[in-house]
Amino acid sequence: MAERLRPVDAVTIGVGMTGSILAKELAAAGLKVVGIERGAGRDTVPDFQSPVMHDELRFAIRKSLMMDATRETMTVRANVDQTALPLRRISGFLPGTGLGGSMVHWNGQTWRFQIADFIYRTRMEERYGKTFLDPDLAIQDWGVTYNELEPHYDRFEYLCGISGKAGNLNGQLQPGGNPFEGWRSREYPTPPMKEAYCGALFRRAASELGYHPFPMPSANLSQPYTNPEGVSLHACVYCGFCERFGCEHYAKSSPQTIVMPVLLKNPNFELRTGCQVLRITLDNTGRKATGVVYTDAAGHEFEQPAELVLVTAFALNNVRLLLLSGIGKPYDPRTGEGVTGRNYSYQTVSSVDVFYDESVNINPFMASGALGTIIDDFAGDNFDHGPHGFIGGAFIGANMSHGRPIEFHPTPPGTPTWGQAWKDAVIRHYNHTVTLLAHGSSASTRGNYLDLDPTYRDAWSQPLLRMTFEFPENDIRMSAFVTDKMLQIGRAMGGKTVAGAPAKRPYNATIYQTTHNTGGAVMGADPRTSVLNRYLQCWDVPNVFVIGASAYPQNATYNPTGTLGALTYWVADALKTKYLRSPGPLVPT
Amino acid sequence: MRTRNILPSGMILAIVIAAAFKFADAQTAPRQPDAKHGADIVAHGTAAGAPPCETCHSVNGNPDGSGTFPRLFALPAYYLAKQLTDYKAGTRTSDIMQPIAQMLSADEIADLAAFYAGANAPLPSLAAPDPALVAAGQQLAMAGNAAKAVPACNNCHGPGGAGLPPTIPPLAGQFAPYVVSELQLWQRGIRKNDGGAQMSDLVQRLDERDIAAVAAYYQQVKSALPASAAPAK
Repeated sequence: MAERLRPVDAVTIGVGMTGSILAKELAAAGLKVVGIERGAGRDTVPDFQSPVMHDELRFAIRKSLMMDATRETMTVRANVDQTALPLRRISGFLPGTGLGGSMVHWNGQTWRFQIADFIYRTRMEERYGKTFLDPDLAIQDWGVTYNELEPHYDRFEYLCGISGKAGNLNGQLQPGGNPFEGWRSREYPTPPMKEAYCGALFRRAASELGYHPFPMPSANLSQPYTNPEGVSLHACVYCGFCERFGCEHYAKSSPQTIVMPVLLKNPNFELRTGCQVLRITLDNTGRKATGVVYTDAAGHEFEQPAELVLVTAFALNNVRLLLLSGIGKPYDPRTGEGVTGRNYSYQTVSSVDVFYDESVNINPFMASGALGTIIDDFAGDNFDHGPHGFIGGAFIGANMSHGRPIEFHPTPPGTPTWGQAWKDAVIRHYNHTVTLLAHGSSASTRGNYLDLDPTYRDAWSQPLLRMTFEFPENDIRMSAFVTDKMLQIGRAMGGKTVAGAPAKRPYNATIYQTTHNTGGAVMGADPRTSVLNRYLQCWDVPNVFVIGASAYPQNATYNPTGTLGALTYWVADALKTKYLRSPGPLVPT
Repeated sequence: MRTRNILPSGMILAIVIAAAFKFADAQTAPRQPDAKHGADIVAHGTAAGAPPCETCHSVNGNPDGSGTFPRLFALPAYYLAKQLTDYKAGTRTSDIMQPIAQMLSADEIADLAAFYAGANAPLPSLAAPDPALVAAGQQLAMAGNAAKAVPACNNCHGPGGAGLPPTIPPLAGQFAPYVVSELQLWQRGIRKNDGGAQMSDLVQRLDERDIAAVAAYYQQVKSALPASAAPAK
């Protein structure tokens, strides 16, 4: 029997980016907040310091900062006719664990979604007609617009100190920035990072082809910065250990470097680490959450009563927790009914290698996770899809995030995959290769979804999450188109050999692609097709808010973190100005 | 006496062509630094009026240990050349070093840097530092300070302060008074030639005792120095 603890005003399930920002906002507003984190507490000093932090084998290969698959993982299959099997190692995508969550080990690529992304179905049907979309696509509008989110994007970018160049200030195009981006109310808080040589080569070729290169917005800061919370970050040293690592230099925006120092000082906040939340408890109406039940590191079970439950774990874990708690009707792909688990989507990526002769030195080790030169000409709503027969797109660019010795071994096609010839080719090409990336959208479909696995259970005897996913045909066509454009740029960059291939079926969850797992607890305007209303409040249980990329009805072209930061402040605002004054549904049903 | 052609004519042609290409290479390839010429300047100065470096930094780059002048031996050539170039351009300032650097050509700077990078010498015997100060310095150097959000110095300056060549200098075995004075210059914004504000920002979070501590710590670290640089008996 769980030991019942003293009630608090609010509990966050997970203390990563969304949990720490919301806890900080609510604690500052006077609420008693408990943050429950499954992993360990950790900070830049001493946990992320060198030389330990540059142990590529430990952190990049053995993935020390990621969720522990020996305790909990997920099962995967391509369609409902298959039997899903558990991922025994975390490799295809990398949910983090521990204080600060996945924002500790991210690359720092901090984008806004396009204006059209938030009204995706409306915009696509309006532009191309109702019969243009593949019948299996389940894309939806978000229930919130870009204009509503703009102040919250701005606030998040200023919290992080993002380094970039505006392309559109209040409707005025700005030279040097992304001319396709949605309007922004002011310039980035810090200027772009110094351009890498791979980026300069890409910029020249892309410009000659008539495209519009610009620097990628980066959470690895170009200069020292003190944010509005009074927390200071240092300048990046371009060491190339961002994704899969914590930053030892206080130069990457992470909860520890942007908000945690303020949060942890507030006596209204209490952090509990090493605590695994098992479920959200509901009262006998099923319409009100009473708190959460969790197990601490010693295995003792506790019930933490709370007036407000904020589900702030990684996207996949948010969905699983709702399913384990019986919140929202589980989605059934056969009938198309139910909401919890629907519209799981991902990201469709492909790459091209440009192999130079030995006179061109790329120095890929001088890098950061978001040091890139990019074009947005083939992203989302930025071009006419009419002749091509698909929706969505990709940004294309040279953003080589590292040249780490174990992971970075570009070799041209035809090179043996092992032995002396392979070793010779690695030595020959290591410093003379540029890798380009196409980072593409992921449409939601009727068949891709999340539910609970009927067979496999975690260390606490709870069912694992089951992922049913295959790349939609629409996205395969999209990837072929953008990869072709990328090959064209690669050839214009002057390489001796240019090689790359679009994304292909089947989806392989054992090869790393991205950690941009989205959907499953989506927001929207219609309770029949969404778990959450436009304020990320559960339609069915109004004192539960679910804040994560799990809310995305489909994934846009871009990395999801910037939009998640904006949604986090959007929710904080709704809680403080609406919900706390009058707890209850913020959108009538 | 009749000379005998010992090589087939085709091979001679090949050698001539190769020699011609080598000549062409020599005209376009970057000049290789001349450490011997650097040694000359260290000992005798230059015709343009630059005084001999050894007057202050000693012949082997290992001055008296008072810390007025830094030890230069075994510093990366790129780093040394950049500092002299910055003095010359005024992006690093010193009433002593700027006029000297302005009398040095780019080639002379490269030669001097090559010489001192390859020099080596036993360190002078220095007074035993305060163990508590060294311990505090070691903490900052290896782990940093969470309360002040200062990362470990060794993140950039390498394990044991060995440096991260070519851009980041070693600190191991550097004289404490010199390190203190440079950190103070960084703090006051007089030294600011780090390129990305990495140093000038960080140092604002150090207090006087932090500075004394890291300086005391690094002075007595010998592990990263060439083996022959053990302190003189």
